[in-house]
Amino acid sequence: MSPKHLSRDTKRFLWIGILPSALLYGLFVIWPAINALMYSFTRWDGLSTPVWIGIDNFVNLFKSGSDFVTAIGHNIYLTVIPGSIILTLALFFAWMIHLKVAGSTLFRVTFFFPNVIASVAVALLWVLLYSTTEMGPINNIRQALHMEKVPFLESARLLQSIVPMMVWSATGFYLVLFLAAMENIPVDYYEAAHLDGASPTLQFIRITLPLMWDVLTTGIIFLIVGGLKFFDAVWVMENGRPSPATHTMSSLMYAKVFEEYNVGYGTAIAVLLFVLVLIITRISMRLLKRERLEY
Amino acid sequence: MRGSFLEKLGTLVRTGVLGLWMLGVVLPMFWVLATSLKSTKEVTRSPFGIPDALAHPGAKTFAVIAENYTKAWVGSGFSAYFWNSLKVVSISLALILLLGSMAAYCLSRFEFRGRNVIYNAFVAGLLIPMQLILIPLFFQYADWSDVLTRSFAPVARMLQLGNLTVSLHNSHEGIILIYVAASLPFTIFTLTSFFGTLPGGVREAAMIDGASEARTFFSVMLPLAKPGLITVAIFNFLGLWNEYLFGIVFLADNKLKTLPLGLASISMQAQYKSDFGLMFAGLVITMVPTLVVYLLLQRHLTKGITAGAVKG
Repeated sequence: MSPKHLSRDTKRFLWIGILPSALLYGLFVIWPAINALMYSFTRWDGLSTPVWIGIDNFVNLFKSGSDFVTAIGHNIYLTVIPGSIILTLALFFAWMIHLKVAGSTLFRVTFFFPNVIASVAVALLWVLLYSTTEMGPINNIRQALHMEKVPFLESARLLQSIVPMMVWSATGFYLVLFLAAMENIPVDYYEAAHLDGASPTLQFIRITLPLMWDVLTTGIIFLIVGGLKFFDAVWVMENGRPSPATHTMSSLMYAKVFEEYNVGYGTAIAVLLFVLVLIITRISMRLLKRERLEY
Repeated sequence: MRGSFLEKLGTLVRTGVLGLWMLGVVLPMFWVLATSLKSTKEVTRSPFGIPDALAHPGAKTFAVIAENYTKAWVGSGFSAYFWNSLKVVSISLALILLLGSMAAYCLSRFEFRGRNVIYNAFVAGLLIPMQLILIPLFFQYADWSDVLTRSFAPVARMLQLGNLTVSLHNSHEGIILIYVAASLPFTIFTLTSFFGTLPGGVREAAMIDGASEARTFFSVMLPLAKPGLITVAIFNFLGLWNEYLFGIVFLADNKLKTLPLGLASISMQAQYKSDFGLMFAGLVITMVPTLVVYLLLQRHLTKGITAGAVKG
C-alpha cells in the first residue's frame, strides 16, 4: 500500500501504534545510550559539573596493570573456557539425541531446566554446592575420596569455580538450539551418505556441521556476548564486593560509578563493552558465516 | 544380526551418557529441594540423607518444613519479593505485548515514510548491552525527580502533603518503564517477522466488512498472531523475572525488591549465612515459578528457539 492511499483512519492507527513504543524506546534506550557516549569523555563525580577530558578515560583503561585490563582478561577467560566446553557438550548431546534415543523429550526438557532459573539463584546454588561447611556436597565427596577440602569460593579460585556452573546452566539452551538445526536437515542426505558407506562420525562432520553452520555462528555469538556482559554470578558470589582478582568489565563498571563515583571512567567501560559487542558480532558474522548453504 | 546388536549397544551407550548428564543437572536441584525440608540441625547432622520429614512423616517433622518456609515467606520477606516480582513482571509484560505488537503490526503491514528508519532503529537496539544505558538512566532519573518534585510542589502544598518527592528512582514504575523500553527491540523484531508471515488478504477482508484499523487489529490480526505473542511473552517473562543488574541500581529499597534481588541480598547478609533452612527455602521459592512456567509452556519455548534456529 503506498503512502498516498492511507486513509485517515489508517494514519491515526499508525500514529497510535508506533508513537508510544518509539517514545519509550527513545527516552529510555536511545537517549541514555547517547548520554553514555558523552559521559565517557568526561571526568565526573555525578554531582559537580562534568569536565570534558577527551579520550583520557579510554587511555587510562588500557594503562598497563589497570584493573580494567585484568577485568577484560577475566571476561575472555569466562568466554573461552566455558564457551568451548558448552559448545562441545551441546553439539555432542544434541547429536546423541538426534541419533534417536528413547526418552529424547525427557532429556531435552530436563537439560534446559537450569537455563530458566535466575542467574542469582544458580550462583547461590553453586555457593552452597561448593560450601566448605559440613553440608557442602562437593567437598564432602572430596573428603570421602580422601582429598583435601578446597575453598572453591575464595577470590583466587572463584573464576575457575564459575566455569562448571556456567557449563551446568547453559548447555541445555545450546543443545536445544543445535538439535533444532540438526532436525531441520533433510533425512535423504544421511540416507545417501549411509548408502555410500559413510560412518556416523563422517556424516556428522561432512553433512551435519556444514548444514548447521549459521546456527552454530548464532550460538557462538550468544556465548561471546554473554561472556562479555558477565556480571550476576561474580557479584553474588563475591557478596557484592568483587576484588581486582574477580572483577569482570560489568562489575568493575558498577564499582567505579556507584562506589568510587568515577562516572566518566565507569561509563567508558560500558561504551567499550558496547563497541566490543558490535565488533565481535560483525567479525563473527563475517568469519563464521560462510556462503550459506541452501538445501 | 550383528548390525542390530551394535545398534542396540550404541543406543544403550547413548542413553547412558545422556542419563548421566541428566542426573548431573537434576541432582543439585533435588538436593536443594530436599534440604529445604530439613532443619538447620538436620542439615548439619545428615546433609545428604532423606529428609526426616519424608522418612518419618508426622506432625513433628512437618513442623520443620513449615518453619523453614514460614521463616522465608513471612520472616525474611520472600512473600513481598514474590508479589513485587509478580507485579513488576506482569505489568511490564502486558505493556510490552500491547505496545510491541501494535508497533510490529504497523511496521510489517503498512508502507509509509520513515518506516525503515523506525524499524532499523528498533532492531539496532538488539546490539545495545543493558550496561550501556544503566548509568545514564540512573542520572536521568535523578534529574527528572528534581523536575517532577518541583512541578508537583504546588500540588503537594495545596493538598498539604508536606515535602513530597516524586521520583522514578526506587520505584516499580521507574523500573517497569525501563524493562518495557529495553524489551521492545527483541519483541518488535520477532513480531514484525511474525506478522509478515500472516496471509495478506485477512486485513483487507475485515476492512471491506467495514471494520476500522483498530478493530481489525484487535479482533482479527492479534488472535492470529497468538503463537508469536506466546513465544515473545515466554522469553520476556524469563528475562525479566530473573533480571538482576537493573534491580540493584533502581530498586535499592528492601520493600521494593523482586525475588532475585531479595534472594541475593539475604544470601549476602552474614547473619543468614548459617541459617540453612531459610536459605534453601528461599532458593526453592525463587526457582519454582520459572520452572513451573517453563514446564507448562516448554513446547512453545522450544518452538520459538527452533524457529529462530531455522531462520538462522
